[in-house]
Amino acid sequence: MTVASVSAGHEAQLEASPYAIASKKLGMWLFIIADGATFGAMLFAYGYLRVANPGWTHPFVFWPTIAKGMLMTAVLLSSSLTMVCAVLTAQAGRKIASLRWLGATMLLGVVFAALHLREWLAMIGEGWGLSRNPAGGPVLFGATFFGITGLHLLHVITGVVALAVISRGFRRGRFDAGHVETTGLYWHFVDLVWMFVFPLVYLMNAR
Amino acid sequence: MPSSARGPSVRVYLLVWIGLLLIVGAEVALTFAGLSVGVQLAGLLLLASLEAAIALLYFMHLRYERPSLFWSLIPALVVVLILMDYFWPDAVRLLHQRLQGGGP
Repeated sequence: MTVASVSAGHEAQLEASPYAIASKKLGMWLFIIADGATFGAMLFAYGYLRVANPGWTHPFVFWPTIAKGMLMTAVLLSSSLTMVCAVLTAQAGRKIASLRWLGATMLLGVVFAALHLREWLAMIGEGWGLSRNPAGGPVLFGATFFGITGLHLLHVITGVVALAVISRGFRRGRFDAGHVETTGLYWHFVDLVWMFVFPLVYLMNAR
Repeated sequence: MPSSARGPSVRVYLLVWIGLLLIVGAEVALTFAGLSVGVQLAGLLLLASLEAAIALLYFMHLRYERPSLFWSLIPALVVVLILMDYFWPDAVRLLHQRLQGGGP
């Protein structure tokens, strides 16, 4: 089989990417857009229920909920900074430094998840649930709050697991800087979603 | 990849991080400024969108990719989010119905 006949049958494989990025990175971008629409739908549904229900509950006060929410936001934003440092050092060929930054990112992700679960447990202890509202307002508050923050928390936990898998493969030479960068895109997306969840779900429900 | 070779320095990333933290502070200040719900929502959405745009452009590197990537991805998501707005009139209808009925 000649080179010409191979290329004639596999033109798509030989064609350069129109975006000048690796296919795995384009795949991650497509996933992010789809997932962004999912979170968008969740937030729109929350907005619909909020507008349609008079007397919506405003259970959050500055201390402790909003203050802790600010801390959680700072933790997540800091994890994005450590993630870009991991990508930069990986691209510079500094594997040990990159692994340390990846470790810092995972640690910050675990801290965020721990803070979030602590908040959940405190709220559940006060009587909040998917269909329970101890404040006496619409019961849908619990469903929207736990639904939206739960989906985001699931993304954070998945991100920490993905970072652990990529770190292991990167340390062993199975994965390269491109894999670190692609996982970083996902991690920044998780941060980006929180940028809407915090103001819309926490701050808009503060009194 | 060509896109990986270009990008901001650590100093720029640090400035972006500080800027994002300041926006979060501004959001909290806006929340407790005693504004009406509509103004508060508009302000928070504006600040959150600004925050997301900065994260997309710098942390997610979109500013340093080919413009074709941006134009292939972001407008599609924006259109989807705009299309989701069709149900607001129904939410307002339900609100008025419940207020007139006196029920929750």
